[in-house]
Parts: sequence; structure tokens; C-alpha cells
Amino acid sequence: MDTDASLTLRLEGRITAQTAPPIWKAAIEQIEGHPLRPVLVDASRLEFVDNVGLAMLFDLIRRERAPGAKVEVRALAPDLAAILQRYVPGDFAVAGSGLHSMGLLEQVGRATERQAGYLVELLGFVAACARALFRSQERQVSTWRDALDIATEAGANAVPIVLLIGFLMGVIIAFELGQVARQFGAVIFVVDGVGSAVLRELGALMTAVVVAGRTGAAFAAQLGSQKVNEELDALATFGLDPIEFLVLPRLLAMVVVVPLLTVLADFVGLCGGVLVLMTFDVTYLQFYTELLGAVKASDLLLGLVKAACYGLTIAAVGCHQGLATGAGATAVGQSATRAVVSSIVLIIVIDGFFAVLTS
Amino acid sequence: MTEHLAAKRVTAPAGTPAISVRNLHLSFGARVLLEDASFDVHRGQIVVLLGGSGSGKSSLMKTIIGLHRPTGGDVLIDGESLFQADAAGKVRLQRKLGVMYQGGALFGSLNVLANVRFPLDRFTQLTLEQKNLAVRMLLHELEMDGTETLMPAELSGGMLKRVGIARAMALGCDILLLDEPSAGLDPVTAADLDRTILALRSEFAVTFLIVSHDLQSIFAIADRAIMLDGHARGVIADGVPAFLRDQSSDARVHRFFNRQPDSLRASGER
Repeated sequence: MDTDASLTLRLEGRITAQTAPPIWKAAIEQIEGHPLRPVLVDASRLEFVDNVGLAMLFDLIRRERAPGAKVEVRALAPDLAAILQRYVPGDFAVAGSGLHSMGLLEQVGRATERQAGYLVELLGFVAACARALFRSQERQVSTWRDALDIATEAGANAVPIVLLIGFLMGVIIAFELGQVARQFGAVIFVVDGVGSAVLRELGALMTAVVVAGRTGAAFAAQLGSQKVNEELDALATFGLDPIEFLVLPRLLAMVVVVPLLTVLADFVGLCGGVLVLMTFDVTYLQFYTELLGAVKASDLLLGLVKAACYGLTIAAVGCHQGLATGAGATAVGQSATRAVVSSIVLIIVIDGFFAVLTS
Repeated sequence: MTEHLAAKRVTAPAGTPAISVRNLHLSFGARVLLEDASFDVHRGQIVVLLGGSGSGKSSLMKTIIGLHRPTGGDVLIDGESLFQADAAGKVRLQRKLGVMYQGGALFGSLNVLANVRFPLDRFTQLTLEQKNLAVRMLLHELEMDGTETLMPAELSGGMLKRVGIARAMALGCDILLLDEPSAGLDPVTAADLDRTILALRSEFAVTFLIVSHDLQSIFAIADRAIMLDGHARGVIADGVPAFLRDQSSDARVHRFFNRQPDSLRASGER
């Protein structure tokens, strides 16, 4: 057994970011392993210490020890000793990311609170837009002209993709339902299924998803980069309200455009259904007569009303995220992503409400 | 009881220049920037690289970092050739150099702490707690306490540069290359940064190679100034800034250090 009461750690060579890890670990083990002995860290043979080595030395001496068992650094180069002396053991004591681990329940609770807060904020935003709409009576011409431009960009240019998606959707539903119905000799009722699904649900839903990805993200990115470039501040100094000037035209455009696109999606969806059902030996005329019996004008209207709601949601979420953009280039990307995700989730939720209300 | 904790010793022989540029020839296509540039940067020196626009300062800096391959000549880091080394050797040499780019070049998606910790995360075996401690102490040395959780977009120009220096130093680099550290800073902030550079030199024995135009800053911090010239395609002056200002017989150097317009050239000074 060693009779020497103190423990000496002799450090040698160059302690740098590369060489420090094993030395740091060993030194801590030694110090922790002898809690009641004073520890001398002999630095006389150190050649070089970089910032990581310095952090190591500080880490060794800042530990809380029993009285009379202090850790002391000896024979350190004077300039390094001077730096080390500027720190007191309490410095960085509350280091770490400041995160405490949350239980599952707490995480769920906080997430719910955040989402609820977001919804309230979004509703407030839509209300502000509505107020702006009534306030801007005198400037309505320019608002509508802007809305027309945006509608062209968001609507006309989205026609090909909406046609493609709508058509494929009709084809897929008719095919899937047809496979099952054929086993029961009920292929003709597939028409009812396709008509109802496309007109009431899927025409509007798929159009909205496409538009959310295409236009919702674009709104968030446009407004976001305008905010980052201080263009919004420039507008405000002219006395122009960004909501009235930038958001309102987008809302109006989308409320009109999404239902229009939905009409197209409905139409080509039914066309897709006809094409598939022809391979199941349902003629065009049979399809037409069955469809007229199966769906009512209210079904089409329901789809269009939903589409208008989806349009409003997409524009409101996109613009809101754009205006809420933080600073920097990455913030714009984050806003665009959040806009797409939030609007698609909200669209599905709204669809759920409609399903319950109209059942 | 004595415990020996030794790190391996890898030091270049004393007196070896930290950076040695040898007969460097640098051209891009038909455009020749440098024809035969040579100079050494010794340990502990603060050397400023200066010259008019288009004189090849930034390209020379990028060559020293190893981002451009020169058309001739070589760059030695601690006596080892950067361009004759194999890929692994080149990376090892490059890692000795810390670089601060003009705007800081911080990663926009990481906060200050994570930005400075980035090289430590990549290249060391330290624990997260150890890395965080090292980063916080480094930020403290650069007078950037309390900014750990800020994102780069929330920092001012001077803070960006400080964090850029911290990141360049994080891996224990004691050779720092700074690209226009005082560009875009107000005089007070620029002077603060100069003070920081001097402090780093005296406390951490950091060697600096700085590209700069800022005469005040050059006179305040530089031990040596190396002046490049676009027409001469090489080094036209190498010496103590105050000496170059007062004693240089070269008209181009004299003009630069005394902030005289180029139009004097027309009045027959040359």
C-alpha cells in the first residue's frame, strides 16, 4: 500500500483534441477513484496544450472534492495558468443542452398544447384576413387583379398534374372495386361506388393534396423569403398591410381555383372509371344511366364546398407559415415543409368533420 | 503514488516554418495569377497577405488550404509538402489549418454550440460533455458567452466572425487563416477582433495568416506584411508594415500603405 497521501498525475507530451480523449478519461478515473486524496496534476512535462487540453485541465480542477482532497495543477506554463485562473469551478456548471428528458405523457401533452396553440393562431390569422377583406373595399380591384395572377399560376399550371392524378385515381378505384364486385356478379354497382367516391371525396381530396404540395409550399417560400429579405418591412413602411397586400389575393385565388381544379379531377376520374369498367363489360351507356341514378347534384356540390375549404386552408397555412418564417435561408425551407405537412393534416381533419356532418 | 499520462510527441523540428510557400505558380486556364511566389510564415507570427483586387490573394489562400492545385511549386505545412502527400496525408495536413471564411461560413442549420463542436464531433473520441466544455471555454475566450443556443442567422457580422474563428480553432489548430476578418465591421468591432487575434496569439501561440485590406488593422496586429501585385504576378514586398509604409522604395507599396490613389501613376511618379 502506498503511504504517500497524495496522488500525482504526471501529464506528458502534447494534449490536443486528438490525443486528449484517453488521457482525459484516465485522469478522471484516477481522480474519482481516490475521492479522499489530494491530487497533484504535474504539468511540468507538457509540451503543448490546445483548447481541448485546457478544457481537460479545467475539468480536472473544477470537480467538487472532499476538504483536503483538492485537485491542483502544478508547473503549468505561466500563460496557460493565467488562462486557467480566469475560470472558477462554478463556470459552465449548468452546462449541457438544458434539455431534461420528458416522459411520454408529457411529450404528448406538450405536443397537443403546441398543436392546439397553432390552430388558435391560424384561426386568428384567417379572422385577420377576413377583416382585411372588408377593409380593403376601395382597393378591391388591385386585390382581385393580383388574385387572378396567382390563380393563373396556381390553377392553370396545375391542370396537367391534377388531370393525371384524377384520372389514375378513377382507374384505380374502379379496378379495385371491380375485382371484388365481379365475384358477386355486381359489377354494375361499381359505378355507384366510383361516382360517389370520386365526387364526394377523392376528387377534392387528391386535388387539395396536389395543390398543397405545389402551391402551399410555394406561398410559404415566397412570403418567407420576402420576410427574410425585409421586403415585408419595406411594405409596412409604405403603410401597406402584408395581409391585405400579399395574403388576401392568395386566399381569394385559392378559394376559387381549388374547386375549379376539383371539377376537372372529378370529370377525368369518372372517365378513368368508364375506361376500366368497359373491360368488365359495362358499356358507356350503362355507366351513364347507373351514375345518374346513383349520385345527386348535392354530391358534386359537397365535393366543391369541401374543395373551397381545402383551398382556404392551404392558402391560409402557406401564408401564415411564410409570414412566421424565422431568420436565415434554412428558415424558408422549414416554413415550406411545415406548410405542406400542416395543410395536408388539416385537410384530412376537415374531411373527417365533413364526413361526420354529412352522413 | 504517481500516474503517468503521456501523449505521443509529434513535433516538427524547431524553426520549421508553419507555412512555407515555395516558388508557387498559379494559373486558371490562360490567366496567370502568380508566377514565382515564395514566402514563409513562422510559428507565432501574424502575417498579413495584402494586395489590390485581382492580385491573387484569395486564390493563394485557397491554394494554401489545398482547395486549388497549383500549376507549379509547392506549399509546405510544418515542413511537409501538401501537394506531394497522398490523400490521407493531405487531409492530415489540412487539419492542422483552421480557416475562417469572410462571412464565417457557419452551418445555417446548426446553432453556435453545434457549429463550433462540429469538427470535434467528427474527428475526436471525446464525450459530449467534454466537447461541450471545450467549446464553451473557447467561446468564453472569444468573448462569446451566452450565444451557444443562437442560430447563425441571429448573429451580427462580428459575432459570425468570432464563431468562425472558434470553429476554426476547435480542433486545436494553431495555424489560422483568416479571410478579410475586418471586412464589413464597424471600427470598434474590428478593433475588438484585432485585440482577440493578438490575445489568441499570446495565449494559445496561434500563428495567423490573414488576408486583409484594412490598413489600421494591419498596422495594429501584423508582424509582417506580404504584398502581392496583379501585374508583377508575385510578391512585391515582404516586411514590417510600418517599415514598408515609411521606407519602401517601391511606388506601388508606398501608394498602398499611404492610401494614395492610383492616378499618381499618371503624374510620372513611376
